[in-house]
Amino acid sequence: MQFDPCMKHKLIRNSARNFAETELAPIAAEIDQQRIFPRNVIAKMRELNYFGLQVPQEYGGAALDSISSAIVVEEISRVCAAVGLCVTVHNGVAVYPVLRFANTSQKEKYLPQLAAGKVIGAFSLTEANAGSDAGSVETTAVKNGTNYILNGTKIFVTNGGVCDVALIFALTSSPVNKLQSSVFIVESKFPGFLRGELEDLCGMRANPVSSLFFEDCPVPEENLLGQLGDGMKIGLATLDNGRIGVAAQALGIAQGAMEAAVKYAKERQQFKKPIASQQTIQNYIADMATQIMAARLLLYRACDIKDAGAPFGCEASMAKLYCSSVASKVTGLALQIHGGYGYSKEYDVERYFRDARVTEIYEGTSEIQRMVIARAILSQPMM
Amino acid sequence: MLNIVVCIKQVPMVNELPWDEKTGTLRRDLATGMMNPACKRAVEAALQIKDKQNASITVITMGPPVAEEVLREALAMGADRGVLICDRMLKGSDTYATSFVLAEVIKKESPDCDLILCGAYTSDSETAQVGPQLAEELSVPAAAYVENLDISGRTLRVRRLVDHFRETLEMECPALVTISMERYEPRYASFAGLNRAFVERDIAVLNADALGITAASLEARGSRTKVRRVFIRKAQKGNVMITGAAANAVGEFLDKYQRKISAVIGKSIESKNQT
Repeated sequence: MQFDPCMKHKLIRNSARNFAETELAPIAAEIDQQRIFPRNVIAKMRELNYFGLQVPQEYGGAALDSISSAIVVEEISRVCAAVGLCVTVHNGVAVYPVLRFANTSQKEKYLPQLAAGKVIGAFSLTEANAGSDAGSVETTAVKNGTNYILNGTKIFVTNGGVCDVALIFALTSSPVNKLQSSVFIVESKFPGFLRGELEDLCGMRANPVSSLFFEDCPVPEENLLGQLGDGMKIGLATLDNGRIGVAAQALGIAQGAMEAAVKYAKERQQFKKPIASQQTIQNYIADMATQIMAARLLLYRACDIKDAGAPFGCEASMAKLYCSSVASKVTGLALQIHGGYGYSKEYDVERYFRDARVTEIYEGTSEIQRMVIARAILSQPMM
Repeated sequence: MLNIVVCIKQVPMVNELPWDEKTGTLRRDLATGMMNPACKRAVEAALQIKDKQNASITVITMGPPVAEEVLREALAMGADRGVLICDRMLKGSDTYATSFVLAEVIKKESPDCDLILCGAYTSDSETAQVGPQLAEELSVPAAAYVENLDISGRTLRVRRLVDHFRETLEMECPALVTISMERYEPRYASFAGLNRAFVERDIAVLNADALGITAASLEARGSRTKVRRVFIRKAQKGNVMITGAAANAVGEFLDKYQRKISAVIGKSIESKNQT
């Protein structure tokens, strides 16, 4: 068992941190307040493989291991969670299912563009009546000649406002004439692909989250991902992976918030001494640091299991559940340490506090994670 | 093909260097390492040459095993080969000993190199001596504090700012140039590059023995400086009270501090005062 980061992980962290602090730190507050997707920075990130973190080299990716990939998301989110979200959704739930379930011609067509970030990806399962209950999708895909015709509405699509390709879950008829869900690779340039207004959300405001509408949108049959009726299988496998990404993101937010709080606690003078010298503040800092360390170990273990090729769904859920809960707790404490200033937009912790909250909701709520974990534990044979 | 050698150094990544006040040495164990900023610009200068013409870049560093990090980083940026000189015998080498060892490595590992680049100075000791001393050891022409370099054939044209004059010099290769912090903003290493730096690239690790450096030769060519004392310069603060009517007080304040304020904000406030 090796707990110290290897040299490669250390350099990857330094590299992502340097980029985030140079390119994102100066704009993070502004793009949050103005709801701006920072296209200039995204363009720089393309060149550096941020959009092909785990894509094999033959498709133009960086072929990183899962811990490296988590470190990158963590470091970007430590400075700007909304851009971290763009990166993790693209890599974790748009590129990953293509890597894992696409056939060779689909891979050759889409992976190089996705890995180069020329094409931004999105993953679209959630609807007005379907989220945690993935089986209740109402969008339909009806076969018509060599096309499937998509109709329906997807909501809360991360990257929705800017995506060029989205993986869409839709109902299809199975051979036994039962309705099952399937996944389609849908390009934004297909006719009938429409975007809604950007959502006005509590946090992650620089990410263009929107609805997507499909009005008689023809999708070529060769864009079916996997087999007809594979929707649930692809969805669950993708969400397992996506959860590692959200856990990394939550961890990065927590880390950023703690660092801000420690810095502030050392500087802020009350009763003629820094508040860091008060035991209560020290207790907060101790709790934050301990929880972050535990969260990080849980996350990297899930990554390690994934890279070993073993089932990692339960570990990914544990990491996601714990990291997101830590993010909410730590950002709350960090805000508390900042006192009134923490409640002001003048300080970054206010943004961290808002950004952290959704990590307990998307990619499966904490309640769903507990369901996944409990199922795994209860299905184990009794000793 | 142009053979370029870049000598780089790992320095501590901290704003306030943690010193051990008792021993006067740097608490390197507390600090994370990074590539010295000017060295990184030297790597960038080499890469910009390689962007334009066929070139091979060898990066060399001397340090503890962890110094391999800066070599990997340079490889990730686009260098081709890394050499780490690592030996307890060389610990604590001053600039004189360091340039001697680097010269031995270059003679052994890149005897036919055309251009040697160094950072003009390091952020941890700021001596700016290793580059010029290395040129002496290798008997090649050198220019320090260079902000721009062009190479055409075997001719090297460098531009630098010295004593408020910008001068352009020409040298024949092989030559040594130290790169200042003015230009050559270093590129980010891509993640594919970082992965490649670990998976596909090798780093040669050499000890003193492999370089034919013995205790005796170090006796003759080893460190000649001794650090007697290291101290942190403390900023001194004093309060100044200006009393009297506001108009007079402001006038007096500006008379006293106008130049200091201008220096801090980087522009003259004189004209504003007069209007």
